[in-house]
Amino acid sequence: MEAPMVDAIRLSPEDGVATVLRPVGRGERIRVGCGEAVSALEAIQDVPLCHKIALQAISPGDRIFKYGEAIGEATSAIRPGEHVHIHNLRSLRARAK
Amino acid sequence: MSGEEFLGYHRPDGSIGIRNHLLVLSIAGLTIPTARRIASALSGAVMVGMPYNHGSLLGADRATWRRSLMRLPNHPNVGAVLLIGDSPPLMAEVAAEVERSKRPFAALTMDDCGHDAVTLTERGIRAGARLAMQVSTFRRAPAPLSALCLGLECGRSDPSSGLVSNPLLGRMADRLVDAGGRAIIGETVEWLGAEHLLERRAATPAVAAAIHDAVRRREETAVSNGLDLTGNNPGPTNIAAGLSSIEEKALGNIAKSGSRPIQGVLAYGEAAGGPGCWVMDAPAYASESLTGFTVAGAQLMLFTTGVGNSFVSSMAPTLKVSANPVTCAKIGEQLDLDASAVFLGREAPEVAADRLWQRMLAVASGDATWGEVLGEGDEVVARYGPAM
Repeated sequence: MEAPMVDAIRLSPEDGVATVLRPVGRGERIRVGCGEAVSALEAIQDVPLCHKIALQAISPGDRIFKYGEAIGEATSAIRPGEHVHIHNLRSLRARAK
Repeated sequence: MSGEEFLGYHRPDGSIGIRNHLLVLSIAGLTIPTARRIASALSGAVMVGMPYNHGSLLGADRATWRRSLMRLPNHPNVGAVLLIGDSPPLMAEVAAEVERSKRPFAALTMDDCGHDAVTLTERGIRAGARLAMQVSTFRRAPAPLSALCLGLECGRSDPSSGLVSNPLLGRMADRLVDAGGRAIIGETVEWLGAEHLLERRAATPAVAAAIHDAVRRREETAVSNGLDLTGNNPGPTNIAAGLSSIEEKALGNIAKSGSRPIQGVLAYGEAAGGPGCWVMDAPAYASESLTGFTVAGAQLMLFTTGVGNSFVSSMAPTLKVSANPVTCAKIGEQLDLDASAVFLGREAPEVAADRLWQRMLAVASGDATWGEVLGEGDEVVARYGPAM
């Protein structure tokens, strides 16, 4: 696989997560693109291709944003650089009252 | 031919097809095996089977089934039809519908053949061969883009679908709508969490309310059936690929519809009533979803995938698009557009959009898709409730 121009992409400045454009290993420093801006982040866990990485600390119950929109809420405390997926994010929709 | 035209088949009913199929349509479940045998004897024929008995279906199923049965044989991509069935009264109704469209057709029932499948096969092959000869005389002629209706689908999606492939389809939808054509997205459950964005684009407040209601009904259906959408939609393949919730999937999904006003909410298989972008309240599984677009009259489908999805419509050429670099490297013979360079930041989205637009017009004028070459097509009419 050819290398991406940046390692991860943040789709909107409001987003708490970025999508990695190549598999990222624990301990790697990665470049996160958001429009023209590029910032640095250390991955504290392995993150598979296309999966999400936390850009900031997220508290349990906080909404998690991608595309500038809520994609669910955190079910545990999430540290910057952590893998964000179904183990720490759950949908807000179609839930029994 | 200018860039804003394609070469299509001008049908006597005024519609314009991009393929010239001899359709062998089994209007009943019992005659599907015979119809399949007949179609396999006729080079290039497309077989579609309606698996249920016309009398047994109820409510929404009956309406959907009837709409499909009456519309499929008159699809613009169909040059001629061989109808096969087991009920003379129903056959008479379908035949009358085809006759109105002035398409060449023949109709045969098991009852006309002494309830003998072998006799039906023999007569079917003879009648079908004559129709195939007739179909071969039809020629393509220049046609405006406004004649096209595009079905927009995604399946086995991953985050690359929402990032790159679906927005590419959105550009195609906008471009076709601006040229006076029609575009349809379906998969209602995959609007959950993104419905406010669709509602904002509604052409009228009534359309916004209809979008809202369609989403609420799906969500209530999931809740009342005790369904946790995580694991269902997104399914296990989506989750392994990195999608974590229905909201995340939906926000990527709706990018397929582009940015133009939404003209209305269509029932399953209902034709778009005019130019523009439309949404169809329909099941999300690709086979059922695509057939909803086919019944609605879409001549062409664009279908994005993350990890790979081989399924295509058998009646409407389906272009496959992926932006996942691993997928693109693996299944090149199933992807009509490799958008992985956009994913990697090495190609501008508008450049890939131009490539897809040109590919789409070439396919509309007769170039094959991988799905056609590999024969991955089928049509599956959606079914909902109990039957008699």
